[in-house]
Formats: sequence, C-alpha cells, structure tokens
Amino acid sequence: MAEAQSIDEHAAVREREGWVTGRLVLFCLASVGITVVAGLVQVSFGEYSMTFVEAWKAVFNPTVIFSLDAWSAFLFGTELPDMSTGSVVVWNLRLPRVFVGIIAGATLAVSGAIFQAVTRNELASPFILGVSSGAGFAILATLVVFSGLSHLLPLVAALGGTVAFVVVYMIAWKGGTSPVRLVLAGVIVNMIFQSLQQGLFFFADDLGVVQTAIAWLTGSLTGTGWGEVRIAIVPAIIAIGIALAGSRQLNVLMLGETTARSLGMQVERVRFFLSAVAILAASVAIAVAGIVSFFGLVVPHIVRNTLGGDYRRLMVGCLFAGPALMVTADVGARLALSGTQIPVGIVTGLIGGPYFLYLMRKQQSMGEL
Amino acid sequence: MAHQHHSATEEQDHDQEQAQEYEHEHDHKQITDSDGVTVESALVGDGLELSYPASEETIVDCARLDIPEAAVTALVGPNGSGKSTLLKSLSNHLEPDAGTVQIHGEDLDSFSQKELARELGVLSQENDSLGSITVEDLVYHGRYPHRGFFDSVSEEDHRAVNRAIELAGIDHICDTELGQLSGGQKQLAWIAMVLAQDTDVLLLDEPTTFLDIHHQFRVLETIRQLNEQKGVTVAVILHDISQAARFADYLVAIRDGELYDWGPPEEVVTEQLLADVFGVEATVKYEPELQVLPKQALPDNRL
Repeated sequence: MAEAQSIDEHAAVREREGWVTGRLVLFCLASVGITVVAGLVQVSFGEYSMTFVEAWKAVFNPTVIFSLDAWSAFLFGTELPDMSTGSVVVWNLRLPRVFVGIIAGATLAVSGAIFQAVTRNELASPFILGVSSGAGFAILATLVVFSGLSHLLPLVAALGGTVAFVVVYMIAWKGGTSPVRLVLAGVIVNMIFQSLQQGLFFFADDLGVVQTAIAWLTGSLTGTGWGEVRIAIVPAIIAIGIALAGSRQLNVLMLGETTARSLGMQVERVRFFLSAVAILAASVAIAVAGIVSFFGLVVPHIVRNTLGGDYRRLMVGCLFAGPALMVTADVGARLALSGTQIPVGIVTGLIGGPYFLYLMRKQQSMGEL
Repeated sequence: MAHQHHSATEEQDHDQEQAQEYEHEHDHKQITDSDGVTVESALVGDGLELSYPASEETIVDCARLDIPEAAVTALVGPNGSGKSTLLKSLSNHLEPDAGTVQIHGEDLDSFSQKELARELGVLSQENDSLGSITVEDLVYHGRYPHRGFFDSVSEEDHRAVNRAIELAGIDHICDTELGQLSGGQKQLAWIAMVLAQDTDVLLLDEPTTFLDIHHQFRVLETIRQLNEQKGVTVAVILHDISQAARFADYLVAIRDGELYDWGPPEEVVTEQLLADVFGVEATVKYEPELQVLPKQALPDNRL
C-alpha cells in the first residue's frame, strides 16, 4: 500500500511530456506558412498576372469555395460552372498544381522516412532503393506502349516500384544487409532500369510522347491539374494515414531487430507491410509528378536534424515540410527562368544534391541509423 | 543424453548424485533441490540441439535445462560455451534443431509473438546505440506487447513505466537522451524497458559485462529486488563466476554446449568445476560464505 502510494505521488510529480513539443508545432506552422506563401506566389504569377491581393481574393472567392458544383468539377471531373477568368486561372490552372505539389511532397517525404527506418539506413530513399526507377519504367511503358491504362498510373507505378525494390533487396540480402550493400544494389538496379527507360524511347512514335516522357523522368509538375489530384488524393491519404499510425512501430523497429522481436513485434511482417506503404506513397508521387530526385532522401534528413529521431515527430514533420519544400521548389521551377519552365526535379536535384553532400561532410559517419 | 552428463561429472560423487537426481527429475518433469524440496520450473528446455542457420555445427546439445520458478538462476561458462545460444532458444529467438522449450508447461511455439512478450522479457547482450531517444521513451517501448496497433498509452502503461523507472533507480535521468549516458546508465535504462514489459520471466544476457563495479551492483540489486518483491523468475548470464556464486539461487554451468552441472551455488561451485569448465586453478572457500579465489590458468589441453 505504502509502495503504491509512493509510486502515485511519483507519477504526479513527473508528468510525462507528450511527444507533441513546442518545437514540432512551430516547425509545422512555419512549414504551413512557407507552403501558403509559395502557393500564393505560384497562383499570382504567370502569363495572366495578378497582384497578391487579387490572387488572394480569387483563392478565397466564396462563390468558388462554397460551390458544390465547382468542387464536384474539381474532384469528380464534372462540368465546370461559370466563374470569372481570374477564378478559372487560379482555381482550374494554378491551384491544382500547388495541390499536386503538396501531395507529391508529403508522400515522397513520408516514403523516404519510412524507408530509412525500415532499412535502418539514412541513405535509403525511394530513389536509392530503385523504387523510383522501377516505377518510372512502368509508367513510361504505360505511356508509350499501353496508353489505355493511364488512369491506373499510381497502381502501375506501385507495381514497377515493388518489383524494383524486391530485386534490390534480393541482391543486397545475405543473411541481413548493410547500408552500403543496399545502396550499391540500388545503384545497379537503377542503372538497369534507366537503360530500359531509354530503350523505350525507340518505341515511341511521336516526339510529343518522348517530351512527356523526359519531363516525367526528371520530375515535373508542369501541366498538372485536377486530374492528377483526383488520381493521387485517395492513395496518398491512405498511405499517409497508415504511415502516421505506424510511426510507433517504426520507433520500435529503430531499437534494433532483436529488441523489436523481444518486445513481441513480428519484425519481418511489419517491415514488409511498412515497405509496401512506402512504395505506395512514392508511387503516388511518381505517378503525378515523375521522378523528383533527392526529395525523399533529403527531406527526412532536414526534419530529423530539426526535430530529432522520434518517428512520431519525424513523420508529422515530414508531412508538413515535404509540401513546403516541394511547392517552393516548384515556384523556382516555374518562375526562375522567364519564358520557360524547367522540371521541378532539376531544382530539387540542384539544391538537394549539394545539401546532401554538405551533410556528408559535416557528419562523422553516415549510413546506419 | 544422460550418459554424456555422467561423463562430464563422474569425477565427483557429489555431482554423480546430482546426475542421478537429474535422471529422476527427467521422468517426473519436476526437479528437487538438495533438501528434497520440489522446485517448480518456470522455463524448461527439453532435449535441445541448437545450431545457427549459417553453419552445420551443433553448438548446444542439452538434455534438459530447468529455470526454477521465482528464483534467480545464473548461467555460467567460458566464452563460446553456448550460453547465449541457449538463452536465444529459451526466448524463441533461435529455433532449435531438436527439442522443445516450455514456459509454465506450455510450448513456446503455442504463443504468438506478442503473447510471448507478455510472459517473457529478454535483454540481449548488444543493444543498438540509439542517440536521440530519451530514457523515458525507451522505457515506454517496453509496453509494446501490451498495446494494440491503434491503442494509446493507458493508465496501466503509465504505472508500469513508473514502477520500472523507480525500480531501476533512474528517475533522475528520465528525460536525458540515451546518447548522453554512461554505459552503466544506459544498461539500467534498457533494463527498465524490459521491466516495464511486466513479465513473470526475465532472461538477461550478460547485463553486467563492461560495466563499472558500481553499476554492476546496481544492475544485480535491481534484478534481486524484482525477484524478491514480485516473484519474477530470472535467468541471467553472468561472466564472473564468483559474482554469480554470490548472487544467484541456482547456477547452471555450461561447457562446450553441454550442461555440466546444475544446482545451488554451494554445491555447484567446486575447485573441480573451475578446472573443468573454466580451465583455472582456484581455491573455493565455503565459510563464512562462498568465495572463489582464482589463482592461475591451467594448460589448455581441452581443445
């Protein structure tokens, strides 16, 4: 009795801190702020230029926001109701691109974060593990050869990504695997799939398809609209929801395989399941935005450096930082060079690559988490 | 199996008696200590043959191993004798080539992974060094087997964690990150995690190795308290035979993957055992308390 009492008192004295810290909240708010500002810049500029105020008004135009017809047009592809030119430009041309950026950013970041925990390797990302190139090849094949299947792009991408991931894992696996083995296997499988992708170009009939395909492989949000949002939104929500719910599993996985097993986790099953979620998430992004390089690798690093390694925080952080960075990068891609748009994958590659090199120089060791 | 046991022990009458006792136990699935009092076993390994997937070689071949209920049993033996391997099979981390392991009379295989983790806590020898997790978060992971996929932290989880932290005596470093702790403090944190699992049986693989003497005692005292207050069954691998002799209720001596002897320390620890199992010449004093004084290594003629 006395013992029980002392424990109760003790518990009262040392109230457990929740995992939601002030830092996390601040980080998320800042990310939302960046996303909104970048989004506003994106909707304001372009051939039909508006001031910030006009753009802001068009975005929050109540006749659009509260119009069921408009939303049904956006989300289900029905007839678009009449609205002002400004509203059409903002709501039908520019905003959906921002939304696609948000979805792609969030899913890629979450996917990278999961892969890094599942492989316990901070070099892991959908790109490194071959998922991107596998999915890219599958999508290219669909565009060039089986163009009838284009509404199933996320599924096709997921299939290609899964095949590539399994191949990488099989090559790297020898009674366990190390970060370096995994990366090497990934590089090799990537090269094979890239050759296959280039090979496919020979089967393309017209130049338009080739151009689309190239934009695809470099990762681009150019020309994305509500159609892409419609394709991506449901699988993205599913993948992100499971990822958030699974963050505690990822934390336990980070304790090491033996400990996780001792705690009653079916390690192989959880790994497999969460990898599948990560592949789905990456495939969503690849299906609508192509292969945006370095994104899934770098964003979890940025979040980890800011918020620490606890996956409950890391996952939420990625969910907010991913969209902020993707939308910002896309602003650069669309508006940096006047007169022409460059694929967003070039921007992320040019910024993410050097940033990653900087991390490598700064950190003593890189590899195992 | 039994004759192997004889050959290892026939040099001593005392041990021979035990071997016979052992056979007798085997029939009745029960063991008795030297006073003839029946001891219930929490964990029983029966006819275990163990090897690792990568190699053919049988590492452990053990007719029967008992971990008595509500007692502290220390597994001792030289490096490479198969202690850790044995512990791995007892905790279902290693599937035996032959034989079974039972906990409270039920086959380990009949439990799901989570059910087993509610019965049996395991602390392995090497724990991955995680930098940025706080001690408290680590201890909360001990509640994993008690929580479903979507369950949030319950009142019972809070209580179990607080109890574990208190028992391990680490309240003051609760909010510290693991990376900033000394080896001994880290080990106490890991032990607290296993304590939070709230199991009746606890298996610990060399929890005191590499710790300074203060933390060695802290760890052992924590284990002892847990055993005395809550009647938890503990099987612990200890590197130091004299420490094991002072600390444990029962000793299990293992040599070359076979059970050499089993029983209370005063009976098991003999100069013969130290020569046979550990290859050292030593004096053993039984009065006023059991004490092992190693003198020198014997010429290595066993290999």
